[in-house]
Amino acid sequence: MSETLLRIEKLSAGYGPVPVLFDVDLTVGRGEIVALVGSNGAGKTTLLRAVSRVIKAEGTLEFDGADLLPLPPEAAFMRGLVQVPEGRQLFGKMTVEENLRMGAFRRKDKSGLNESFERVYELFPRLKERRRQLAGNMSGGEQQMCAMGRALMAAPKLLLIDEMSLGLAPVVVDQLLEVLTDIRSQGVTVLLVEQDVFAAFSVADRGYVMETGRVVGEGSIAELQNDPAVREAYLGA
Amino acid sequence: MRPLPLAIAAVVVVLLVFVPWLASDVMMQFAIDALLLAVLAQAWNILGGFTGYVSFGNSVFYGLGTYGAAIAMAQFHLPFWVGILLGIVLAVLCALLIGIPILRLRGPYFAIATLGLAAAMGAIVSNLPIAGSNIGLVLPLIRADTMFYELSLGLLVLCTLTVLWVSKSRFGMGLVAIREDEDAAGTMGINTTVFKIVALVLSALFTAVAGSIHAYWISFIDPASAFDPTLNVRMVIMAVFGGPGTVFGPLVGSFILSAIYEYLASSISTAAALLFGIVIVLAVIFMPRGLANMIGGVRARGPRYFLQNIRENRL
Repeated sequence: MSETLLRIEKLSAGYGPVPVLFDVDLTVGRGEIVALVGSNGAGKTTLLRAVSRVIKAEGTLEFDGADLLPLPPEAAFMRGLVQVPEGRQLFGKMTVEENLRMGAFRRKDKSGLNESFERVYELFPRLKERRRQLAGNMSGGEQQMCAMGRALMAAPKLLLIDEMSLGLAPVVVDQLLEVLTDIRSQGVTVLLVEQDVFAAFSVADRGYVMETGRVVGEGSIAELQNDPAVREAYLGA
Repeated sequence: MRPLPLAIAAVVVVLLVFVPWLASDVMMQFAIDALLLAVLAQAWNILGGFTGYVSFGNSVFYGLGTYGAAIAMAQFHLPFWVGILLGIVLAVLCALLIGIPILRLRGPYFAIATLGLAAAMGAIVSNLPIAGSNIGLVLPLIRADTMFYELSLGLLVLCTLTVLWVSKSRFGMGLVAIREDEDAAGTMGINTTVFKIVALVLSALFTAVAGSIHAYWISFIDPASAFDPTLNVRMVIMAVFGGPGTVFGPLVGSFILSAIYEYLASSISTAAALLFGIVIVLAVIFMPRGLANMIGGVRARGPRYFLQNIRENRL
């Protein structure tokens, strides 16, 4: 495995007195696409919230060589940890272009901005066609593209994508998965959190399986696909 | 913003500077009042218009501005500018003190939480001997309407320039993002709490100075008039009537409503409030998004703009 970008060791987190995550271990290497799968309530989104510092956590959480745990969410964001939230959370009454511009809100290098616009429009030509349209008036797939484009505008090192496939047609999901490999080839690492195990495994290098707040399986995609427990629970074989 | 509205605004300001040499005494009274109300609407616009947080606590900042000036001048015989500074300090401290806990509330809950503040602050001040308890304070009397007029005009220009800056800056972009979707704004790395508090503090600052000027001009204040919740309602109505979140909307809105109210009050004194209420109701039905939106809408769609609003309101 290549150099570690995100290291999570023995991480526990929860909401107030309710513990949700128990001793989670997970690493993401630079340039990887890592899938995190699991059913409803497994703690996937909670893990993302802990990583992006929205909720308190205990254990080890290192990103790009620095300790993330004491940082507020904005500082984690500034270091290149950018989330594509579940349900997209676009600014519905702003145009596509304005949404993308909001993604670059914290960026200081105005010179690189045009280049980022170009790159996002290259990845998602549909967004370029619709750049003057209100984000809220687009289809679900286009909105997901816009949310991913907005996150890319922040020049992330690690993109955390929560439930990308939610409510989208399979053909649209396939298109987005293809884009993920393009994004990776541009030097962005991806942690893909998914319920759709088939989709996630089709593009990822490695995977983790979560159940009730614990990591219960990990390995390369080939290993996971041959794991009897994973096969039975998620792949229906 | 396009250069044309800015050029028009600059010409209007230059013309307004000379009003005191032309207007009658009665006209001056009206003009100072209208300018100060416009400041209040514009200051409310910074938080209410751009972030969508409807504050009913701005009359607290207004009251603290009046009391800052009154305490400094009546109790300690300090000059007016010290009174303004004291008012600003009190209002900004208060904005920080109430903003940090209350700005975590969203939507109607924020409005409800601010609603009780003016009454509470009035009760507190009524029990402070240094603030004249519930009797009030009398400030040194001067007849200088021209000075009060120019001060109010200057404050309004300053406040509007601030709003102009907000509308063009990254700061303002962050505020609008909060209005459109606060969770999404947080995802973009915006510290929404800090942005909202800065907006509230700016709003409090201009509101307080307007209060100080008004106090010296009227030269008598008491808790009931300083912490008057209906004043806050007028700020909201004027800003929303003109167009919240725009640079010139709240100005135009407050001038028009002040003029209508003044005309009604002088021609049919008793029924003025009733007719004023009717004007507000009609405005909400026909142009719920304010004058600024109406001008654009009528230009694009003609009279159908009004029909569409009625249909969307499902009347």
